[in-house]
Amino acid sequence: MKLECEDQELLEGFVTESTELLQKLDDDLVNLEKSPRDNELLNRVFRSIHTVKGTSSFLGFELLVQVTHKIEDVLNRLRKGDLLLTSEIMDVILEGADLVKLLVNDIAEGELRDRPVEETIGKLSPFLSDNSGEASCLKKEATATCEVARENPPPVETAIREPATTETPAEAAGKPRSDESSESASVRVDVKRLDDLMNQVGELVLERNRMLQLSSEQQNGVNRLEFVREFNSLSKRMNYITSELQMQVLKMRMIPVEKIFRKFPRIVRNLARDLGKEVELHLVGEETELDRSILEELGDPLVHLVRNALDHGLERPDERIANGKTAGGALVLSAEHEGNHIVIRIKDDGRGIDHEKVSQKALEKGVVTEAQLANMGKREILDLIFLPGFSTKETASDISGRGVGMDVVKTYIKKMNGIIEVRSTVGSGTEFIIRLPLTLAIIQTLLVGVGKETYSIPLSSVLETLRVENGSFHRVGGQEVLRLREEILPLLKLDRLFNNDDDAGEKLFCYVVVVGAAERRLGLVVSRLLGQQEVVIKSLGRYLGTIPGFAGSTILGDGQVALIVDPVGLIGGYDGSYLPGMQAM
Amino acid sequence: MSLNDVAGEMTQLVSFSVDREEYAIPVLKIMEILRMPEVTRVPNTPTYVEGVMNLRGKVIPLVSLRKRFNLDGSENGRRTRTMVVDVTGELMGFIVDSVSEVLRVAEAEILPPPAAISAGVQQECVSGVINRGERLLIMLDLDKLIGSEERGIMKE
Repeated sequence: MKLECEDQELLEGFVTESTELLQKLDDDLVNLEKSPRDNELLNRVFRSIHTVKGTSSFLGFELLVQVTHKIEDVLNRLRKGDLLLTSEIMDVILEGADLVKLLVNDIAEGELRDRPVEETIGKLSPFLSDNSGEASCLKKEATATCEVARENPPPVETAIREPATTETPAEAAGKPRSDESSESASVRVDVKRLDDLMNQVGELVLERNRMLQLSSEQQNGVNRLEFVREFNSLSKRMNYITSELQMQVLKMRMIPVEKIFRKFPRIVRNLARDLGKEVELHLVGEETELDRSILEELGDPLVHLVRNALDHGLERPDERIANGKTAGGALVLSAEHEGNHIVIRIKDDGRGIDHEKVSQKALEKGVVTEAQLANMGKREILDLIFLPGFSTKETASDISGRGVGMDVVKTYIKKMNGIIEVRSTVGSGTEFIIRLPLTLAIIQTLLVGVGKETYSIPLSSVLETLRVENGSFHRVGGQEVLRLREEILPLLKLDRLFNNDDDAGEKLFCYVVVVGAAERRLGLVVSRLLGQQEVVIKSLGRYLGTIPGFAGSTILGDGQVALIVDPVGLIGGYDGSYLPGMQAM
Repeated sequence: MSLNDVAGEMTQLVSFSVDREEYAIPVLKIMEILRMPEVTRVPNTPTYVEGVMNLRGKVIPLVSLRKRFNLDGSENGRRTRTMVVDVTGELMGFIVDSVSEVLRVAEAEILPPPAAISAGVQQECVSGVINRGERLLIMLDLDKLIGSEERGIMKE
């Protein structure tokens, strides 16, 4: 059924509000289970559900009202102390919350589907006596009801169970949700930030007026010295205001990582129960802010890593105790700023990754040859897990063995110009470290000259620059390399790669820009180093699409377009696509 | 223009020349006409993609129609112009030998394209011809010309 609503604005408001409430709800519910006596928390949960119920009944979403009403009733009994919170009740409430989310999501998509709500309602009902929600109920009675409910699951459960065609809420909870898609349409901005922005725009308008006046004064003939002085101070102020403005707009695009972190308590709880493990999840640095475009992309890889940690990393309680650890495993999900980057860590204190096993597996799968393996350090061996077609777990469980391996995670991260590293100690745990740029829109770059063209290289991947005499290059198997502090650095000559030969003939020296992604290094040979500049990334448009080796373009101070080199892509392609091409040249 | 003149819908076309042929496209498609801008070459693209240019803060691709039609390229001269055209919602620059004028043409004057058309131009990119005394103008359909390679020329 297509959703018709006269007041679109009201509807959007409802969807935004409910989605926010429901996200918070998950977190609160999981916390509530840990501290069932926290009345404030319980009240908050109750209010959230109550709000959703209220608005949805006002807007006439019948299914939603039915479900929220039942949940509300159960919560109300908990609140009044008629019921004691057990994990059975929590399971049902969570299931209900999932169903509510599903329904809200339907509304957000503008398509009302007929979801089977009776099953969940049926599960909720046993926790309510006939005169549901009335204070006259006694505690004893309530617990009794509860017991009964546990022994005899309501008959409706099996009766209404629909064939697999409709997604049941329980299934939905296990998957990374796609309901974020509806969020990207509108942004909620802090009023304070909006005010600041307005102030700065005001200042900009003033400076523009000053500029126009200056320009007309100049036309009418004014003291030249005076003009130059005025103009200089004007350009300084303009510079200041625009950079402030830039920061402000950037901030508006930033959202705290809490937005994706807060779905994890729930995921971890469910998984831990399914796997029979005890897990304590710690979230650190939820307030760290990140560009929304990155945040949206980050959800899926994170879910995957957390699943991996729970499934493969953390041991069962008995195994842990046998190894002298606490029964409950710890999983830390943290976010922090590090310069122009945000660093996200997923750390567990599980069994760690055995690099012996990894290398064995890699050989079996034919991802590496024995000779290659012999030359690899521990670190490089661990990195093998990011290769396509690699999975160390013998049996792919339905938790993390969904066909998406670590290589997919890596691809996601790479797409965001990020890097992922893994550190692991056998017996004491594994840590995945993801480094991401703060924003994708404006970046610091190093401008270099190649032939007649200027290119910019994102500074985030530049490690160092060197001035090298042409004679000091070596050739190893057709590949040009440079010895840099006892290490062999493979080189990529940008002039040849970009068919941009310098017509000035052979020079005596050139510059090498050493770029790195994770543990990999690559030297880009350029003719000139031009300096550092903050640039705005512009896409090359649909017609040109994505050109290998480039991340986009930007406009320099003199109005020229400069292409932005994609070092991560070059490094990635260096083992494959670029190397044969270079040799052929 | 008198009222008697309504011999059918009038359209306005911009005529331009590439090599020895004259072409025309609807004036509404053209955003602006510029002299040769500064071009930044884009490596690993077909030869007819001259590169990209800066159009007041927007980066747009530049296509040389001469090269696109596989004609021997003469160097960009004094009369060389870049037409900024809206092609299926995206701005693109087309380099032509010269731009001559804006013509008012009655729809009836536009004839269906003949079976064989001038060098290099694919048949489907020609939407019609206009016969004006000495002159023969070829109506180009740039959407089709570009559309045939749409979705990233690099993904071949």
